[in-house]
Formats: sequence, C-alpha cells, structure tokens
Amino acid sequence: MQEFLQLVVSGIATGGIFASLALALVLIYNAMGLVNFAQGEMAMFATFVAFTLIAHGMNYWLAFVITLVVAFAGGIAIERVVIRPIERAPILTLVIVTLGLATLINGLAGSIFGYVPRAFPSPFSVQTVNILGALASFQDLGVIAVSAVVLLAIYLLLQHTTVGLTMRAAAHHAEASRLLGVRVSWMLALGWGLASAVGSVSGIMVAPIILLEPNMMQTIIIYAFAAAVLGGIESPLGAVVGGVIVGVTVNLAGVYLPFVGGDLQLAVALAIIVAVLVLKPNGLFGRPTVRRV
Amino acid sequence: MALLELEDVRAGYGATSVLHGVSLSVPEGQIVSLLGANGAGKTTTLRSITGGVHWTGDIRFGGRSLRRMHTEDVVRLGIAHVPEGRGILTELTVDENLKLGSHLRRDGAAVRKDYDRVFEYFPVLRERRRLSASTLSGGEQQMLALARAFLMKPRLMLLDEPSLGLAPLIVRAIFEIIRTINGADKVAILLVEQNARLALDVSSEAYVLEVGRVAVKGSSSELQGNEAVRRSYLGY
Repeated sequence: MQEFLQLVVSGIATGGIFASLALALVLIYNAMGLVNFAQGEMAMFATFVAFTLIAHGMNYWLAFVITLVVAFAGGIAIERVVIRPIERAPILTLVIVTLGLATLINGLAGSIFGYVPRAFPSPFSVQTVNILGALASFQDLGVIAVSAVVLLAIYLLLQHTTVGLTMRAAAHHAEASRLLGVRVSWMLALGWGLASAVGSVSGIMVAPIILLEPNMMQTIIIYAFAAAVLGGIESPLGAVVGGVIVGVTVNLAGVYLPFVGGDLQLAVALAIIVAVLVLKPNGLFGRPTVRRV
Repeated sequence: MALLELEDVRAGYGATSVLHGVSLSVPEGQIVSLLGANGAGKTTTLRSITGGVHWTGDIRFGGRSLRRMHTEDVVRLGIAHVPEGRGILTELTVDENLKLGSHLRRDGAAVRKDYDRVFEYFPVLRERRRLSASTLSGGEQQMLALARAFLMKPRLMLLDEPSLGLAPLIVRAIFEIIRTINGADKVAILLVEQNARLALDVSSEAYVLEVGRVAVKGSSSELQGNEAVRRSYLGY
C-alpha cells in the first residue's frame, strides 16, 4: 500500500509535467484546430534558455520567470512569422509546417547547445517527507506545486479576465468575434505565446529527471498527446486531468505490470491514445462534434 | 452630412457579384430600412459596411472612408452589426456574450448603467445570465444579440432580419425595443427586413433593393402609401 501511494504521488508529479505540455497543445488546438507538433521542441529550446541563464549564475526562479517571458515572446514570434502567412491554408499544410518547425528547432538547439546530455538543476531537494505513511520526495511535491500554480494561473486568465474571454471568443467563432471588435489574429498569436510559455514549464520541470538534450521532449510529447486526447483535445481542464491520469497510470503500469517495466511505458501512453480514440473519441471532457453531411 | 454613406458600392463573393452599385445614406439618429426579396443583396450590403466582403466604390462613416479597413477596426469606430444568424457565441454564457459587447468600453459607470437598462429591456437575460447561450430560445438569442449590440454603445446599428423565425408576439416586443434604443440614445439604425410592413412602421426612410441595385427609395410613409411599390416590391 505504501509503495502504491508513493507511485501515485510521483505519478501525479510526472502527470503535472504532461499536463502542462498537454495544455499547451490544447490552447493551440482550440485557437486554430491545429495540433502543434513543434510544442515539445519549443519547450526544449526554452529549457536550454533557462539552462544558459542558470549556468551564468542567475537565481533559479528568476531564470524560470525570464524563460517563461522569452518563451511567450518566442511563441508569438513563431505565430507571426511562420503561421500567420499560411493561416488560411488547409489544416494538413499547417500540420506539416509544425513538423518542419519541430525539426528546425531541434537542429537549431543541437547546433547551438550540442547533443551532450546535461544535468539540469532542480530547486527541490531529493529528500523525502512522510505523508500518511507514504514517502514523497520534495522533488515530486515541488513539481506538483509548480504545475498546479501554472495551470491555475492559465485557468484564471482564460476564465476570469477580459483578454481570456476574447481569446476564447476568437477561438470559438472568429467571424462573430470580429464583429464585436476582437482582434482575432492577435488572439491567435497570444494563444501561441501562452502555449509556448506553459509548455516550457514542462521542459524545465522534466529536465532534472531525464537530463537536458535536444531530443529530450520527444517521448514527453507522446505522453502529452495521450493526456490531451484522453481529456478531449478541446478541453483545458481535460488536458490537466488527462495528464494526471496518464502520469499515474504509466507509473503504476511500469511497476505492477511485469511485462511493461521501464521499457514499455511509452507503449502504455500509445495504448491510451488508441483506446480513447476507439472507445470515446471525444475524450473525458470533449463535446461531441456534430457534422452535417 | 449623413452618418453613413454608401456610394456606388459593388461587392460579391469570388466571381459572383451581388451588389451592382448601391448608394444609400443613413442620417444621424434615424432608422433606415433596407428592403427587398431574398438574394437582392441586403445582407451583402451590411457585410460590405463592416468589411466582411470585398467591395469597391466608397463607404464613409462619420465622414471617414472605411476602404480597406478590417472588420474589428470598423466596429471600433462605433458600428454594431448584428449579423444574419445573430452571431451568438453559443460556447459562452449569456453574461460572457454581454461582456464581449462592452469589453472595449472604458466608461465603467456608464457601462453599469447600460447593463441595468439591458436587463430592464430584457428581464429574461438577467435570469439566464449564468447559463450557456446555447440554451436560449431563438427569441431570447435575438434579445441577447440586440442587448450585446446596445452595450457596445454604437453610433450606428446594423440589424440583419431581427424578426427572422420568431413568433409575432416576440417580434413586436423586439421592435418596440429597437424603437426605444433609437429614441432614447439617438442610435442610428440600418434595418434589413423581409417583413416590410414592420420595417416601414419603425423607420423614417427606406430603400428597396432589387438584384443588387436600389430600385426604390423614399420616406417610409411615402412607400407605405404607394400601392404600386407595395405590390411589386414589398408583397403586401
């Protein structure tokens, strides 16, 4: 039982990491119906920015905040420069462009920072604390806390501010929003900025666990896809719940299902994606789509 | 000088042209009806004004040309356009829809007063504030669209068939409020309607479109009194 609880707690921690990246995917999906395959690479690049700042002696949390701001600006810049000119292109074109973007950012990171895995600092100690009989590490609790704060901040922004309201309006119904004076195009850019910032949190949180290198997000993005699909790709809340469920499931499966072990954990995520698409394509929180034929 | 002036406006969708040179004007504070059969170009005329369709010619609002302006910038000059289908954001709540109407205003105290007036005009919206706009009936959605347009505090409202698909009793209530908004706030209104009798009742001037051109124009009372016009264009 104690082991089970510990696995659940650390599962929630990795789940929070998945949730941040999944929320980034959902934000862009909501804004333009597009799955951004470059989301993981954008997060990886931001993590390198944080690494560089910290390596130059900057305080961890200051570097964290500056990285979020840089990632936010970078997301907006990518939307304005790369996505805007092809905004009206077929969705497949846009998807291919994000794939190209992923390759580009990956190569860019490789050429600037190199492919040698680096240890990324964590602000949380690896000491454990006893909670109700389960041993939880400060590392896990810290990741959970940071993810919770970031996700809560996004929730408050979207649901309780005017800019959040106009972002949601622009995402749901561009034409009607324009007639109400909403600058829809800028709202899309803002969505990219926000997604980029949230995604970078997942990179910064996961880097101390899996080492920092240009390919580090390529498995994490699969878990994030699983989380987003499970939650219903349109639902920010779904992304968070999905992230936690995927994190815990993968963690438990790795230990309790002997054939899964550490090697097949990614397969569990893929199994979740397939199962959701077959059994409940709209996910847990998605709304059924009605299509007129 | 009129508040809104259209001069020889031509517009269309791709290769199909719909307007073949429409000129009309809406004086400050007046209600002007735009009548005509289905496909005459009434909706396209409204869409031209707010930049929803490509047009040539000239459109001026308050003396300023709207050429090559984006929809959101036209709207910010003080034009509230309630489009065909009402433009309700059904994924959002009633309250959120209303907030989108007032979100650009900085006159907080006046906004609060305007909310009070909106709920006085449409008490049902107050009851449903927290509900999803998708739960509203057609008439309630039309009320929400009007209320939201009112909260934009426009100098001009463009209303596209506010009576469409609504029960006669509700239509009467909605037109009563259109009249009130025009009277109390001096908001000019360009009213597109299939129901010519109703439109001529509330408007001071009217234009009748026929296949993308102005076929008849005049004061509303003149048109009401002219039997030939009524029979051949207005169908009553």
